[in-house]
Amino acid sequence: MKRRSILTAGAALCALLAASAALAEGWKPERPMTMVIGFAAGGSTDIQGRVLARTLEEHFGQPVNVVNQPGGGGAVALTRFLNAAPDGHTFMFGVQLGLTFSPVVTETEYDIDDFRYAGTLVGGQFGLVAAGDAPFQSFDELIAHGQENPMTYAQQLPMDQAIMQQIAAMEGIDLAIVPTGGGGGMAPLLLGGEVDFAFSGGTHAQYTPTGEMNVLAFLTRERSPFYPDVPTLAELGYPYAMDDFRSFFLPGGTPDEIVQAFEEAARFAVGHEPFVEVTVDNTLHPIVFMDAAETEATIREIRAANEALMAN
Amino acid sequence: MDFSAVSAAASEALTLASFIGIGGGVLLGYIVGVIPGLSRSVAIAIAIPMTFYMSPFIAISFLIGLSKGTAAGSAVSAILLNAPGEASSAATALDGYPMAKQGKPKTALQIGLIASVMGDILATIILIFVAIPFARVALLFGPYEMAAILAFALVFIAGLSGGSIFKGLAAGGLGIFLGTIGLDNQTGLPRLTFGYTELMDGMPLIAVAIGTLALSEMFVQSEKLRYDRENMSVAMKKDSSDRITWPIFRRILPTILRGTGVGTFVGALPGLGPSVGSFMSYGMAQKAAKNPEAFGKGEPKGIAASESADNAVIPAALIPLFGLGIPGNVSAALLIGAFAIHGITVGPLLLRDNPELLYSIFAGMILASVIMLALGWFGLMFFAQITRVPPHVVIPIVIFFCLAGMMLQGYGTFGLIILMAFAALGYLMKKYDYSFVTFLVAFIITPMLELNLRQSIILSRGNWEVLLGRPIAMIFIACTVVALVALIIRTFRKEQPLANAPAD
Repeated sequence: MKRRSILTAGAALCALLAASAALAEGWKPERPMTMVIGFAAGGSTDIQGRVLARTLEEHFGQPVNVVNQPGGGGAVALTRFLNAAPDGHTFMFGVQLGLTFSPVVTETEYDIDDFRYAGTLVGGQFGLVAAGDAPFQSFDELIAHGQENPMTYAQQLPMDQAIMQQIAAMEGIDLAIVPTGGGGGMAPLLLGGEVDFAFSGGTHAQYTPTGEMNVLAFLTRERSPFYPDVPTLAELGYPYAMDDFRSFFLPGGTPDEIVQAFEEAARFAVGHEPFVEVTVDNTLHPIVFMDAAETEATIREIRAANEALMAN
Repeated sequence: MDFSAVSAAASEALTLASFIGIGGGVLLGYIVGVIPGLSRSVAIAIAIPMTFYMSPFIAISFLIGLSKGTAAGSAVSAILLNAPGEASSAATALDGYPMAKQGKPKTALQIGLIASVMGDILATIILIFVAIPFARVALLFGPYEMAAILAFALVFIAGLSGGSIFKGLAAGGLGIFLGTIGLDNQTGLPRLTFGYTELMDGMPLIAVAIGTLALSEMFVQSEKLRYDRENMSVAMKKDSSDRITWPIFRRILPTILRGTGVGTFVGALPGLGPSVGSFMSYGMAQKAAKNPEAFGKGEPKGIAASESADNAVIPAALIPLFGLGIPGNVSAALLIGAFAIHGITVGPLLLRDNPELLYSIFAGMILASVIMLALGWFGLMFFAQITRVPPHVVIPIVIFFCLAGMMLQGYGTFGLIILMAFAALGYLMKKYDYSFVTFLVAFIITPMLELNLRQSIILSRGNWEVLLGRPIAMIFIACTVVALVALIIRTFRKEQPLANAPAD
């Protein structure tokens, strides 16, 4: 019997060690995980997300399955995500617009308080662009040109339309605003000379290296690392900003230790070569890291700004 | 032409993965084509979800290979069964089946195959040489021109697809109505979504396409099952004299070239489709022949005329698609959806921004033709056997693929419900002779038309005179009006429709 008690003691010791190791490392997934992406396969979120899934497998030691739930700019996936179990095994690599923008303009079943936020990995690069051969090369020149001539602007979201309407009113510009239905529709309009300038969610990255497009100003709060010389609207003296970040979303009621584990995972991913490479080189998005607290604060801040903007 | 892009494209087209992808597409298309009742657009609608995890190049080449395969495969059942696998091969059966009955089934199949492959390759080459300069000019097409062309395409397709203008209007109107569902482009406000976030991006195209095209067709087929169980395939015997010979080939070559020309012309126009092409080509071959009375009794030229035009339509239909992003028929419209799934906007900028992709697709298309020749030549016996697979085996398999394809979309149960609703709608439309082609094309074109129309109105600041400086737009507006008037006159005279262009 002695031998058995030693064995038992050994097992108990092992269990104790394992438990303390778990405590030190925090939460660990016990089975394969599911990463929800609110966009169709092939888009920039999906491309980043699929590489991110491999990165997370390395970090968590569990397979990560990617599930695409496209629709409504992420709103469909967020609505479904309301029913996910808060055990960390189902999470979203989400675009913040679904929270900072969609609920402002339409009725959604979810809101910011329904989820938890565990770290940001990727930043947006919303900007105002003009064709390379336009008679203005900077935002100031654009304003000056607009005060003399009627102008046309191609929008993509109600937010950027509201910002441009307010700037046009402020500066006395006669501005006609057309919808484009996305970056793919914006490029032919701008390059074909149908509109004077346009909003770009990132499409410009394809055209600026050849000089066919110029970014006149960024709508983001900080300058883009890819275009360090282009000012933001705020720097130019217009009190507007439009930002978008991609972060880990977790179901509401997820315990703190799981949120922390994902914050760590985000920190690991932004330093992981394959993920950084696909984000920066393939999809032309900047890497931006924020911890859980900062992510949630940013979402609430941008949402409040959007509500104020649309209330005008 | 950018030669570095061309060589890069050729090397991408010649990888093992692309061989498997394109070859698989052609093989699948061939099988679908052979089975009567499974049409090209059905196959594409079901196959799009299968391409989710392929690279954009392989995905698109796979789908184009699939289209080409169906066009070639449909000749097999037309010749052996007298039941064309595609409506567009109905003209093939006119001479193919008599020829098979006369103890020359293999010769007939080989003539069909060679005509298909030649029509295909030649039309693909024409596409390459036309699409590239066309895409350069197409940048001059602004929202005014696009709106005018789309309106024209809508009216033209509606006019060709059905008999009565009223049924056409009903089908097209329903398509337009469903096409307006979703978030408004400019304000972002939801239209007719009834609180369903799933509808924010509009009715899911895959659900509408699989439902009205594929699933409803299976309902129609299973209903037919109760009536005709006959399956009288002409058996192939071992007969060394039953094969295509050099004199036969030389005799049909001019017919193939003419058929390719007709098919390419018809394919490049929006709305006409392979059935119009193959019948037009058949008619022209008969008119040009010294022995018109031999047609319909097993004349090789009849098979060659029909099949070459049928296959030439497929690459030609990509001319307006790659140049302007405007679909010429349902298959091309589904391809736009497939491009969108892979994050690519089809249109004039495709050539400029993604030349490698476009050249790779061209290379893939040529590869598909070659694979088609090899598969068709060596697999003749195998495909002939498929004509004997009974429909009660085929139908459940197709239904399974319809449902599985929808589930892959990630819409969950909601998607299945929508799918079922559209299957029921498609079934009723087919039963009561409402053109589901008009419906689908209207559904797909409406969002583009709306966007371009709104852009035009805003950019012109409501000033009609802008159009005077836009001759291309003016021409298409005039064409639209003419087509509308012709359509109305035709209905009131109760004439036969110009042509019946079924789903292609």
